[in-house]
Amino acid sequence: MSSADQPYIDPSEIALEESATQRFKNPSDAFWSGVRDAAGAPAMVLFAGMVGFGAMGKTNGFDVWFTTFTSFFMFALPGQVVLFEMAITGSSVLAIALAVTLTSTRFITMTVTLFPQFHQRDRNRSLYASVHLLAMTAWAISMREFHAIEVKHRLSYFVGLGLLCWLISIPGTILGFYLAGMVPPAVTLGLVFINPLFFLLTFTEVKPWINRLAIFLGCIFGPIFFVIDHDTSLLTAGLVSGTIAYLIDRKFLRKKSGVVG
Amino acid sequence: MMDTINTMSNSLSGWGLWIALVGACLGTYFCRAIGVFLSQSINQDSEIFRWLAAVTYAMVAALTVRLIVMPLGLMATVPLWIRILICALSIGVMISKPTKRLVPALLIGTLLMVGYGIIH
Repeated sequence: MSSADQPYIDPSEIALEESATQRFKNPSDAFWSGVRDAAGAPAMVLFAGMVGFGAMGKTNGFDVWFTTFTSFFMFALPGQVVLFEMAITGSSVLAIALAVTLTSTRFITMTVTLFPQFHQRDRNRSLYASVHLLAMTAWAISMREFHAIEVKHRLSYFVGLGLLCWLISIPGTILGFYLAGMVPPAVTLGLVFINPLFFLLTFTEVKPWINRLAIFLGCIFGPIFFVIDHDTSLLTAGLVSGTIAYLIDRKFLRKKSGVVG
Repeated sequence: MMDTINTMSNSLSGWGLWIALVGACLGTYFCRAIGVFLSQSINQDSEIFRWLAAVTYAMVAALTVRLIVMPLGLMATVPLWIRILICALSIGVMISKPTKRLVPALLIGTLLMVGYGIIH
């Protein structure tokens, strides 16, 4: 377990690689290898996150359908937690949709780095369906493994990997929802704590200074903006902190060699 | 502890909630689809991606701090210093060997929180 354990939020932290060797006999071989590669520590972490999300839905009074639909159709934990957090604090529909969409912009970067590595033959409209399977886990494993997979088998491998990750997230969410209602409150407390802790731990992996700065400023502006106006606070805290970090990086950090990774 | 469940008195409910979910799903899929569209032509190092990555990190950081420092519902029954102490211990485990400690760090933090719940 190497880089698959490192849940990058910013895909630009990994460089593109090329080259391929004979590894799979046929597309089905590649597909099942993808399924096997997903079924390990990375999938366990994702599963735990989804269980935590289900428990969060239960303890905050959402119903099981709403909670499960969220995992099924969004399949993006940070966005899902933003949705719930903002819905609980009574944000407007527009502010919620905008904030969730902004947390999902990382998928643009992920797709742009991963999909050009597929075979030209596979790069057609069907990718608009397979892209739903793309999330942090499948992306990180694919970025690590693709250089050692023949170009023509990469899509099959990715679909196997992504499909397993997506499919386990549904039972994970439902399990968390019902566990939170049945187990003692102490265990529910642990389940609800999984996602905030997971996000916090991923921050220690962030390398570029621009993103470290953005995290630091977000930690400070988040509570301040929440006190001022909790409806739009995630949105404003993210935009203000991110933009300040970007400008500081552009004006000062980039000019110093050695500071930028 | 169980009476902290159902904290939705001031929250979005009914159709508004489902419309927000549809908006969130469409927004999320839109980002995935636009990525497929752009993957033909755009460079991942461009300025707009640097800015978007910074905004995303800042937003997830703001969310994380909110969930840990000013939580709603069940988590609010745990004293702030306990929450921060458990986070600090988990980060300690994580940075002791960054590439391989995510699972143990997550496990220890979660179990400590369960442990606190059992004691009280």
